[in-house]
Amino acid sequence: MILRRFVASVAIIFAVVTLVFVLIHIAPGEPCPSDEPVDPAVCSELKQQFGLDRPVPEQYWRYLVALAHGNLGYSFSLRRPVKDALVETIPFTLQLSGAALLIDFLLGLLLGIYQASRVNRVPDWVLGNITLFIYSLPTFWLALILLLLFAEKLGWFPVGGASHPIFCPAGVDSAFCFADRIWHLLLPAVTLGLVGAAGTARFQRAAMLDVASQDYVRTARAKGVPERRVVLRHQLRNALLSFITRFGLAFPFLLTGAVLIETIFAWPGMGRLAFNAILTRDHTLVTATALIASAVVVFGNLAADLLLELADPRLRVRADVTTEIVTV
Amino acid sequence: MPRRSSSFLLGVLTVAALAGCERRGGCTGSYCGTVIDAALSEPATLLPPVTEDVVAGDIGEQLFLKLADVGMSTNTVGDEDFQALLANRWEWDGPVTLVFHLDPRARWQDGQRVSAADVEFTFDAYQDSVVGSPFRAKLRRIASVTQRDSLTAVFRFREQYPEMFYDAVYHMRILPAHLLRSVPRDQWKTAAFGRQPVGSGPYKFVRWQSAQSIELVADSTFFLGRPGIRRLIWRFTPNLQVAVTQVIADQADVREQLVTPDNVQRARAAPQLKLQTFRGNVYTYMGFNLRASGDTSKPHPIFSDREVRRALSMAVDRASLVKSALGDLGKVPPGPMSSLLWIWDPEIRQLPYDTAQAGRILSARGWRDHDGDGVRDKNGQPLSFHILVPTTSVLRRQYARLLQEQFRMIGVRAEIDELEFSVVTQRLQSGNYDTSILSRGNDPSPGSGITQSWTRAGFGGSNFGRYYSAEFERQVDRAIAAPTQDQARGFWRAAITTINADAPGIFLYSLENVAAVHKRIDNVQIRPDSWAALLRTWRIPQDQLIDRDRVER
Repeated sequence: MILRRFVASVAIIFAVVTLVFVLIHIAPGEPCPSDEPVDPAVCSELKQQFGLDRPVPEQYWRYLVALAHGNLGYSFSLRRPVKDALVETIPFTLQLSGAALLIDFLLGLLLGIYQASRVNRVPDWVLGNITLFIYSLPTFWLALILLLLFAEKLGWFPVGGASHPIFCPAGVDSAFCFADRIWHLLLPAVTLGLVGAAGTARFQRAAMLDVASQDYVRTARAKGVPERRVVLRHQLRNALLSFITRFGLAFPFLLTGAVLIETIFAWPGMGRLAFNAILTRDHTLVTATALIASAVVVFGNLAADLLLELADPRLRVRADVTTEIVTV
Repeated sequence: MPRRSSSFLLGVLTVAALAGCERRGGCTGSYCGTVIDAALSEPATLLPPVTEDVVAGDIGEQLFLKLADVGMSTNTVGDEDFQALLANRWEWDGPVTLVFHLDPRARWQDGQRVSAADVEFTFDAYQDSVVGSPFRAKLRRIASVTQRDSLTAVFRFREQYPEMFYDAVYHMRILPAHLLRSVPRDQWKTAAFGRQPVGSGPYKFVRWQSAQSIELVADSTFFLGRPGIRRLIWRFTPNLQVAVTQVIADQADVREQLVTPDNVQRARAAPQLKLQTFRGNVYTYMGFNLRASGDTSKPHPIFSDREVRRALSMAVDRASLVKSALGDLGKVPPGPMSSLLWIWDPEIRQLPYDTAQAGRILSARGWRDHDGDGVRDKNGQPLSFHILVPTTSVLRRQYARLLQEQFRMIGVRAEIDELEFSVVTQRLQSGNYDTSILSRGNDPSPGSGITQSWTRAGFGGSNFGRYYSAEFERQVDRAIAAPTQDQARGFWRAAITTINADAPGIFLYSLENVAAVHKRIDNVQIRPDSWAALLRTWRIPQDQLIDRDRVER
């Protein structure tokens, strides 16, 4: 069963990569890295050198062959192997997405539980409106406002970057530089996590209320189980199943959000790399970032599904029954 | 629970306080100091012959010296205004032979002496089609470069002309032959040397953190004198607003171009910054495509008519547009030039702003509003066209709207196509457009830029609209060949008058650059063609040093 899901996931990633490869090649735009129109001769020389002047099917075949050998190709806009660029940027995106995910789920979970426990009362109403407001904010707008307020006006946080360029350049590891990294990370992570947390809170509130009307919750209350125990042991545990589903769904949101946030906060991650690659029509780099992003999303969802099956025995039973029916 | 919340908050505050406090370092004295530039783009390579990137150029100024360089006047005629760098003197050996004597003190940063063999090697590389240098065309009038002895390089030109010296020194940064000879020329664009260069300039390469920063450190043994600032850092920020905010928030020291009046106002309000204005090297125009959109073999149905182009030019109040969009940051150019060029002359004849006359010309050419819909038409075809503009430029998008309104006033419909830059480039190169708002950067010589953009030499290249005038080209040739600057100025004046009368484009604005620089930095000299060219002369007085200046590593 897991093997079948794994093979399907690989097929989906392959389809995404193929689609992205074709789309980026047929999309209008000249692959020439410049902010102003440059001499076409310079562009065509560059295209020839990097094999971008060959027919698309040939380029695709070469790409697949290279990929099969573990080679992600060469970025003409960065003038270096794509793999090198990804190795440098992926850790930064993981740090940002990880921190944002933490904020998203911790804050969202707490708010959702709190709202559900105060349903239809003033705190629920106030928090409901606040989360709706935050959820409707465009991420880039929120990023600019937070940057303006906390970095420029108040000076509490740095204006972009991942570390202090003088005190903490690459290769300098210390407690101070660890703190410096967190200081640089906070504002972009909060921006990305806050919008997600607002969505998670609404999702979790609904899940908690859904479970609240179940027989076992009523029975627990009727038996005189303390309210805190009812909420945490009976309601929350079962409501967490939908939380795991949300976990799988969070990956695409985090990755698309990272493109904007990394660009605004000058965070040196894969999102910013992808953004620049699209603007310069760096086909190889665009396809590689799409490959990584789709792999994260597909395997993230696979992990969420597996977690769900582990957490909910009913799903395993249902799957076994289906398998038996098919076998018979 | 409240206790846990307070602990968490305390933890966050501790981290913020720890990271927010800059640490005290130990450097004291005259040669401490760090300058952080908030740069907008990250170069792909630092190897000079294979990159035209602006930031790579700024960093290249610190790493790789030229033989000599233009002075503050940016005069490109003759050799009087040039400053010696790797060559400490030079002489003319006949009308087309120029001899450079290298400074015997000049060294590569690995200790090797800079020699005439390096100069010969550099010219050979820049000329090599396999390297594919974008500067190759600018060296076409140099026949050869040879070494007479280890410290003497001889340039021979194909012909005599006033900018021979400029051509010999301005486009080439001398490269270390002993380090690059073994690198195959077809791999120079991706060579490892380009990410870890060794030069002969006032600064040495330290590190390159991808998508973050490039750091250089002063070479204390630099033969022309120890640089005043110890460390230079280019910090990459993909957004102008964020770059400006970094300088305002005192997290960077220099933003060399603020670009918009808003940014100037914000920077002016920052107490730690001083602003410095210098001539810009960019002009922006709305170029007409004189050939049919998508088919360069046919004339454009509207813009092939010189009178219509003139009428459209006369319908635009360029002075008011500059005032409303740019305030003091822009000037109306007297032709296709930025204020950097020494041929800039507001007295050059230009088409006047005269909407009544513009309307009369259009009517006389048969463009009248026959159907009363507010748009002129001829033979059933409305006088309507598209303006191509890149989404990346807020200013040009704003201008497109202002132009649209000005054209509407004389019964002309303009539609705006805002497209991604790579798409704009593709459409310009294929001729698939009507008009486009373009910006052009000049080097200090009027000859190269104008020739590439407005003469037949630029067909299939940078002359996207395919403007051609035999008279204009004759005048340009004479100007380029004029023996003295005064004579050249006269010929240029005639040539620019001709192109203005032909109106292949509407020359909208030339930006004046305003740089924001931290007040603690002293002796800030900015050369208009390259703000970073004289960075080695900047200083921070000892009593002005701040924590980040003192850091020892």
